[in-house]
Order: sequence, then C-alpha cells, then structure tokens
Amino acid sequence: MRRWIWLSVVAALAIAYPLLLSSPFQQRLGALVLLYAIAASAWNIVGGYAGQVSVGHVVFFGCGAYAAMGSYAKFGLSPLIGIPGGIVLAVGLAAIIGVPTLRLSGHYFSMATIAVAETMRLIVTNTEWLGAAVGLSGPTVPRNVFDLSFLSSLPYYYLFLAVLAITLAITWWMTNSRMGFYLRAIKDSERAARSLGAPASRTKLYAFMLSAALTSVAGALYAMMFGFVDPESGLGILISVKILIMAALGGAGLLFGPLVGAAILVPLEEISNSWLGGKGAGLTFVVYGAIIVLIARFQPGGLLSLFIRRGKPKTDTGAGHAP
Amino acid sequence: MLLEARNITKAFGSFKAVDDASVTLEQGDILGLIGPNGAGKSTFFNCLTGDLKTTSGRVLFEGADITDFTPELRAELGLARTFQVPQTFEGMTVLENVMIGAFLRSSHRKEAEAKAHAVLERVGMSRLADAPARSLGTPGRKRLEIARALATEPKVLLLDEAMAGLNAHEVKLAIDLVRDIHRSGITLVIVEHIMEVIMSLASRVMVFHQGKEIARGSPREVTSNPAVIAAYLGTRAAKAAAGHTPVELMGGPDL
Ligand SMILES: Nc1ncnc2c1ncn2[C@@H]1O[C@H](COP(=O)(O)OP(=O)(O)OP(=O)(O)O)[C@@H](O)[C@H]1O
Ligand SMILES: [Mg+2]
Repeated sequence: MRRWIWLSVVAALAIAYPLLLSSPFQQRLGALVLLYAIAASAWNIVGGYAGQVSVGHVVFFGCGAYAAMGSYAKFGLSPLIGIPGGIVLAVGLAAIIGVPTLRLSGHYFSMATIAVAETMRLIVTNTEWLGAAVGLSGPTVPRNVFDLSFLSSLPYYYLFLAVLAITLAITWWMTNSRMGFYLRAIKDSERAARSLGAPASRTKLYAFMLSAALTSVAGALYAMMFGFVDPESGLGILISVKILIMAALGGAGLLFGPLVGAAILVPLEEISNSWLGGKGAGLTFVVYGAIIVLIARFQPGGLLSLFIRRGKPKTDTGAGHAP
Repeated sequence: MLLEARNITKAFGSFKAVDDASVTLEQGDILGLIGPNGAGKSTFFNCLTGDLKTTSGRVLFEGADITDFTPELRAELGLARTFQVPQTFEGMTVLENVMIGAFLRSSHRKEAEAKAHAVLERVGMSRLADAPARSLGTPGRKRLEIARALATEPKVLLLDEAMAGLNAHEVKLAIDLVRDIHRSGITLVIVEHIMEVIMSLASRVMVFHQGKEIARGSPREVTSNPAVIAAYLGTRAAKAAAGHTPVELMGGPDL
C-alpha cells in the first residue's frame, strides 16, 4: 500500500501548493504545470501506452482552444459550451488521421500527425472567420462565473487540478481494462496480440481518439486562462513538441510520468523566459533538442522509471503501474 | 470439416513459397506438416491463420470462407497459433501474457486473470505466474506460447515448431502436453522437424518440398515414401541409404 501513501502525499502537496507559494507568479506557474500535465497525460495514452508517437498533438489542443474561444467570439456563449464541440472535432480528426495510418508502421502515423497539424495551422491562419493570424479572444470582462475568466490564477489552478485528476483516473481505469492490456501487448508484438484476438488497429484508434478528446479539453482550458487563441499558441508545432517531451522526460507509459515531466520543464521554461525575456524562445528549442538527445541516449523509460525500478526491484516496470 | 485449405498459393515476388497446397482437417485430427528447411511450412501455416494474405486459393473454417478475415477475427472463430520464433510480450509477466489470450472470451480483468491462472495450472507454469516473461528461456517461452493460445479457448490449435530448441526430456513433457490438449477436444496442426514428435502424435502427415505437397498419409506411410526421403537427403543419398529405417535418417540432422 506504499502506492496509496505516495498518492496521498502528492495529492496533499498539489492541493496545498498555491496556498503555501501564493505569489501570482507561483500560482500561475502551478496552473501551467497542471495544464501541461493534462495535455502530456492525454498524449501519454496514445504515445506512451499505445506506443504511437504523435508529433502533431497540438491539432487537438487547437480544436479545443478554438472551439472554446469561438463559442464566445462567434456566438456570445460561455467558452465552456465550446468544450463538447472541441471534443467532437478532435475525435473526428483523430479518426480521419488514425484509420488509414494506424494499420501501417508507426512512422506513417507520426508523419501524418505532423502533416495534419501544420496544414491546419496554415488553413486557420488564412481563415478570416477564425480570426486568421490574430486569432480569437474570449470575454475581457466576465459576464458571470461561467465565462471562466478570472484575474487570479488560483481558480484556474484548482480547475486544472480537478481535470488532471479526472484525466489520470481515466488513464488508470484504461490501463486496468482489457483495452490497456491489449495496448501493452500490441506495443510488444502486434502480430502475437492479433493472433490472440486483439483487434490491433481498432484498439490503437480508440486510444488515439480518447487521447485527442482529453487534449482538446486541455486546449480549451489553456485558451480560457489566457483569454485568447491564435495560430501560434493554439496550433504551433512547439506545443506538440513540448507535450511529447514532457511525457517522455517524466516517463511515457507511466501514469505519473507526464506530471513529473511537466513539473520539471514548465518551471524551467517560465524562469528562463522571465530572465531572458523574448530571447528565451530560441533557447527553449535548444534545450528541448538537448533533452530529446539525452532521453534517447540515457533513459528511454523517462526519469520516473529510474525511481520505480529502484523502489520495486523485483517486479516489472511496464506500463500501468502507479508509483 | 473443421478447417479446409483449397489450392493455396503464396508468392513473394515471382517466388512461390507455397504452390497450390490443399488440406482438410476433421474434428479430432492431429495433422503433422513436415518438410525440409524452407519448404514453405510456416508460410502455409501463416496463410491459414491470416498472418499472410494468400496469392490465390481459399481458406474455409466450419464451411465458411475466411480467406479475407484478419488474424484477430480468425482467433475469435476459434483458430489459435504459436510462433516458430516465440513472440513473447516482453514487458509483461507470464500471467499477463496469458491474460491477453483470456481476454478474448472474458472482457473483465478479474475473469481473465482467473482463467489465465487456470491455464497456467494446466500447462504446469503456475509457479512462474508473476515472473517477468522476459526472464524465461526457450522452453518456457514455447510453453507460454501454448498457454496463451489455449487461453483463447480454440477449436483448432496450430503449433509451429513448438518443440524446436527443447532437450529430450522437455520434448517428452511437451508431447504429453499436446496429448492432453488433444484429449480435451482441440484439433491440432503441428509443424515439426523432430520426427519422433510427428511419429508419436500425428494421425495424418503432409509433406512439403519447395512449396509443393509431395506426399501425405499416415506417419509410417510418408516416412517410407522414396520421394520424401529424397527430399530430405537428396536422391543419391536416398539410394545409398536404402536399407536403413527412414525415421532414423530423417530424425538425424535435426535432433
Ligand atoms: N516474407 C518473405 N519474403 C520473401 N520470402 C520469404 C518470406 N517468408 C518466407 N520466404 C521464403 O519462403 C520459403 C519458405 O519459407 P518458410 O518459412 O515457409 O519455410 P519453412 O518450411 O517454415 O522452413 P523452416 O523449417 O526453416 O521453418 C523460404 O525459401 C523463405 O526464404
Ligand atoms: Mg518454419
């Protein structure tokens, strides 16, 4: 039951954090960590558990962000109303990408995701109705609480924490279901899994659609917190890369891996940005490049797998085990 | 008729690995598939399980045409297999490997787990249930493949060299296991190089050579068939060897 003690400690720390470290910068930082943890955990379902590396996940993030801002900017509704629409868009797009590519080798899938994401960015940049290069804005002055527009980061922090908890609960449930077992089997040997009756393409597709749905929720939350979305912040390739690296750094295929990755990378980026100002963005790319190389070379399982291996020397460290 | 292959041809480019092979399998059969290395046994086998798309020919299961069915659909109908080179799920425990098979008929984790435990008990691997599958050696992996396949509750089980790489004692144990599986009502197709295994298990044998069927019949019949001996040893050697028992000769190089 060591697992439950760890879980309680992490949960207590997460709940207490914005009250203990209560400056606006710290609260904002906390909220951002949680937000990226949601996106990276969502990515983890397809990238980690299913072993299908999506490099264009931002496209689902964008579905959510544009749907949320669009429902306000176009229809005068609460951005919340856009969330289901964003989910439907993201899941539909995932099906369009996944059906033809998930039956092929993983490279085709990775390339298709980048291609679709970049195409969408170009289309949206040139679509007046979606604000083109300027993007869409949310409510500047909240009409009521359902506009989810707050000055303080504190409400966002707890909202994101709740959504992260739901995301992790869904992931955990999945890993303990037939679908989770099938995904792990498919990752090890698709041929053997199929010979035992696991419908490989379909199972990967479901994982991809679930991941897309949750990623779109992360995008909607992101747009609500910042009050706007534009092609860079909602569909830029850097966000795909960030999400992927956070999950890989923390530990892809581990329940808490993405959270660990986000808790390391988001503060690193925010602090370097506040030191270096605008010049930070270029440096971010360099740092991410270096991290990719280091993970590939030294710890393909991510940081969390180091920790788990030491904690439980005898059992396997495969996917689905909470720390 | 449980399983039937009609005029199966499988070509890789212009090379026909299997050339117009047909076979029928009745409930309760143990069909042995033999032939020298590269004869096309595994290729034929993979056409039956759906791992390879046939170039021409049909596969029928309980009278229904399953030629265009995916491997997972065939598994659902009751066709299970093992691989010549074990395809163990390395990141899982032994029990979890078997659960993947069990999940086919029980979607709940607890049920699948209970069934997997029962199968491990049956194949004598209970003790290893929680061991990481990657810690198993060849005999363990071969047995695990059989356990996984059994967990799908198949009607027909196809074993591709399930005993290659085992020592004499392990082969005996494996033969006992296959007999036990057969007694439980499962029809078997076994691809095997070890003649001793074919002789003691198969009710009928089909011999492949260069993609073509060159003989079929009881184990005794085929092993005394000159064409079969020639395929294994070359025509001249076969003449020179006349007088020795064919089983001895054919078992030789592979044991
Ligand atoms: N995917 C493939 N592409 C091209 N040629 C192949 C392929 N698979 C098999 N072959 C060829 O087809 C022939 C039959 O191979 P197969 O594996 O069916 O033989 P086998 O009877 O199972 O032999 P073994 O006893 O060595 O397992 C061989 O010559 C092999 O090189
Ligand atoms: Mg073979």
